[in-house]
Amino acid sequence: MRQNSTPSVISIAVSSQKGGVGKTTVSINLAHAFARAGVKTLLLDADPQGSVGLSLTRQSRLLAGFYDYLADPGTPLDRLIVPTRLETFSLVACGQASDYEAGGGGLGTHLARVRSFLRSVSARGFDLCIIDTAAGLFGVTGDVIASSDAVMIPQQAEPLGIRSVPKLLEGLNRLRVMNPRLNVLGVCLTMVQNDLAESTEAASALRLLLPPEMVFRTQVPRDGLFVRASARGLPIGVMEEGAGAQVVFDSLRSEIESKLEPREGYRSLS
Amino acid sequence: MDPINPWLDPVEVRRLAERLMTPLRNPDLVVSDAGFDPVFVGYEAMRPVVEQQPTVWPASSSSHVVMPAEIVAPPTIERKPEHTEEPPAVPFQAVQAPVPGNAARGPFLDRINRLSDWLKHNFSATDIFILDREGAVIFDESGHGKLHFLARSLALASRRPGEPAENVHVKVGAGATLEVIPVETPYGCLVLGAVVPDSLTPASVSAVKDAIIQVASPR
Repeated sequence: MRQNSTPSVISIAVSSQKGGVGKTTVSINLAHAFARAGVKTLLLDADPQGSVGLSLTRQSRLLAGFYDYLADPGTPLDRLIVPTRLETFSLVACGQASDYEAGGGGLGTHLARVRSFLRSVSARGFDLCIIDTAAGLFGVTGDVIASSDAVMIPQQAEPLGIRSVPKLLEGLNRLRVMNPRLNVLGVCLTMVQNDLAESTEAASALRLLLPPEMVFRTQVPRDGLFVRASARGLPIGVMEEGAGAQVVFDSLRSEIESKLEPREGYRSLS
Repeated sequence: MDPINPWLDPVEVRRLAERLMTPLRNPDLVVSDAGFDPVFVGYEAMRPVVEQQPTVWPASSSSHVVMPAEIVAPPTIERKPEHTEEPPAVPFQAVQAPVPGNAARGPFLDRINRLSDWLKHNFSATDIFILDREGAVIFDESGHGKLHFLARSLALASRRPGEPAENVHVKVGAGATLEVIPVETPYGCLVLGAVVPDSLTPASVSAVKDAIIQVASPR
């Protein structure tokens, strides 16, 4: 996997302007897809709502996590990492300190600490860090994007979501000034309903609106299986009937790998 | 009715999207980490170097403190007596010769206490504390958790990949600067925090680092 011993994690923020577009679902299942492929993956819950933790572990209300680190960077990373049954898949919950306890504040307030956290993740030997962020491109989410190597944007296939795209693009352009290395992987259409004209039309409209390389070919369908997986606290690929859905995230993983520029120390992630 | 296009300007959206796909001119630009108060006065390494004579560890106000036989003292700088009306620029410039001796070094805590005395005597330091590599407080005369927190944050922020941690200081009040000095020792990285009247010079920082390494070295 690595060409040399230089520790270097690739961090991908999963972010969107609008809430409820499927960021957590994409983050969990994408991280699981990479881990299944042998990539040592850390799933970081940077959303103070704690949806990753609530989805995958019953102890999330007790776990120290990312916001505790922001409140006190002296917290060792090892105390925050929660291993899973899959050796290559670990997670860090959002923690008990809310974003307000971590100081609140505007863009840049937590930049140094977010970067320090990612350096620790890199030193710990992870290949990939998938970061589930809160909606919006400001505050801690802005600092996460301004510290990450790449960002991918889940976007619900419905008209209101598509209308928020200009604001999203403006926000990302601003953040790129803070982080010129930021690789905008593109928009991933989620909750696509092929039996609903408004949904498919919205998906088509987005593909016409944006350059082709900025929209993932892979689409995440709306599927009751995601709800059932969440109810059981599992990534969808672990579900008995989840093989079909896993194909979607394996495809997304392959697209992301092709979009990540070769970096020093990496041949490919998997 | 078209549910999308009347709500936005496709040309503007395309322009914004294409700008995102275009590599920026200077992608290797290193953006400085933010996150400090306006009183943060910068990294010591970036400050202009002012030649000052280093102080030497151990130099204690108490004459019965002895130098361990197995530790070679850093070289002292001989100074010829000069008659001058000029007062020293800072109150901790006096070089104190190490007290020779061959007695045992004593327990770790005693050595830290002697280091504390030395810092107070030579640098007018107060609120001295030491954090271990995990950020835990292993010695504390300050009783201020906020100082520990600040020191942890500064020590972490001062780290650069592949380079030793640098000392950092920040003004914490009128005539009071928190000096944070991370030092690699046989026990791992220890972080010394102390409140001093003014930030320490590079030579003084070097002397303090030497002193901490000696204190934290096993026999």
